[in-house]
Amino acid sequence: MRKFFPVEDLARDERFNQITMNDRMADQRTAITTDSRPSRAANRIVPSRGDASDAARGLMHGIFVGEIQALEGAGRTCWDFTTGEEAPFELKLDMARQCWDEARHVEISIKLSDWMGSEIGEYAENTVLFQAACSNDPVLRLAGVNRALEGLAIDVFTTMKEFGEVAGDQYLEFAEDWMLADEVTHVKMGSDWLRKITENDPERRKKALDFQSVVDKLFSYGGTRSESQESPIGLARRFRELAGFDDQEIDVIADLSLAALEERKAAVLEAQAAHN
Amino acid sequence: MTVEVTPTTFTYVYFDSAYIARIAQRLIGLFHLENHNIRIDVNETTPLAKMHIEFGDPIVINIQSGAFEDFSRPRQQSEPATTQSLGRILLKVRDRLSPEFANAPADEDLTLVQVAIWETYCVARLSRHDIDINRQRWLYNFRNRHGFNDASDRAFEKIWNSNDLTWEQLQDISNTAIALVQ
Repeated sequence: MRKFFPVEDLARDERFNQITMNDRMADQRTAITTDSRPSRAANRIVPSRGDASDAARGLMHGIFVGEIQALEGAGRTCWDFTTGEEAPFELKLDMARQCWDEARHVEISIKLSDWMGSEIGEYAENTVLFQAACSNDPVLRLAGVNRALEGLAIDVFTTMKEFGEVAGDQYLEFAEDWMLADEVTHVKMGSDWLRKITENDPERRKKALDFQSVVDKLFSYGGTRSESQESPIGLARRFRELAGFDDQEIDVIADLSLAALEERKAAVLEAQAAHN
Repeated sequence: MTVEVTPTTFTYVYFDSAYIARIAQRLIGLFHLENHNIRIDVNETTPLAKMHIEFGDPIVINIQSGAFEDFSRPRQQSEPATTQSLGRILLKVRDRLSPEFANAPADEDLTLVQVAIWETYCVARLSRHDIDINRQRWLYNFRNRHGFNDASDRAFEKIWNSNDLTWEQLQDISNTAIALVQ
């Protein structure tokens, strides 16, 4: 079986349309406004938002394709590296367990999408998640996938769980809560293995953390996730703590996300000025 | 009757104003709105999908680009989405012009529950014109506003299967569903 699988070759049927981060960045439109009034500026996915149902459906589809790619990424890590030499057996065992979880999450996400009135492939699939899982160093994969990607999953699941709770949708609330618990475990696996493998290799650890920071910035692109109500997805501090992030690490992600939001707002102002 | 679409050339998205006008004309005929001049202003700077009506001559429909978009191919226009969105808003225009909806609050004063019942009523009627509608999507939206329970689902069914409701009747169905679970 082939090792180190390129993102372009991921197997999908005709329902899926894949886009890259470049495609997303080429879209100059934004939901973020320069209007600072709270009622106008808020974009958080909450039931009180006018387009709440559609916004939640779109995010749910994003979760679904994210779970497929997380499954593919963890599966590749089990296979791509030689046991013992490049990756410990116990690490692979954790990745295998993660595959089991992600496969279950894919099925749960399909059922939730049906429940919410979405169809598979209704929204584009951004392949950035799997791209983070293509590094040839297992430690970088753990940083990029388990800590950055699964960290984002914690934020997303918390947002959706709270949505279900407020709307009174018990199926959504409970399903997201169960998946959230798994994601916390996945992040913790990444944090634990990162510390263990790089215990005597500070340079490799720094490289991995730098890679995580790049991935975190990509996932914060356009201010999609931050502590501001202007972002559709919030930053779930409590669950990130449970997953092994310390306060300083969470502050760094919070600052980075807020900077991405401000960057986007400045770009909107610039575009509006050019348009007028 | 005239139908105008602005902008005539899009820069943020790959939409076709003539195509939008053709779809609008077909729906205007279907809903017997031929006696009105209509202008469709597309706000292409946002991916959101809000729609708003300004009554006058012409009747102006403000639509954000997400309402016409193929979400699986960002920035590309979707014929079904354009038809569904224009169909919904044009049926709302027709309702607003009729005496049966004289007492409906202005758009900016509608509550989220009122928006949901009216949208359900519009898409249900659209579905009976052979326009493809995902019923579950609208049921989910209705449940988000009325609660996830049997009373809410019964109210949805009643609205979904109706053709000649007044604003007061719509409100009554909705209020009954909410009162039953309180």
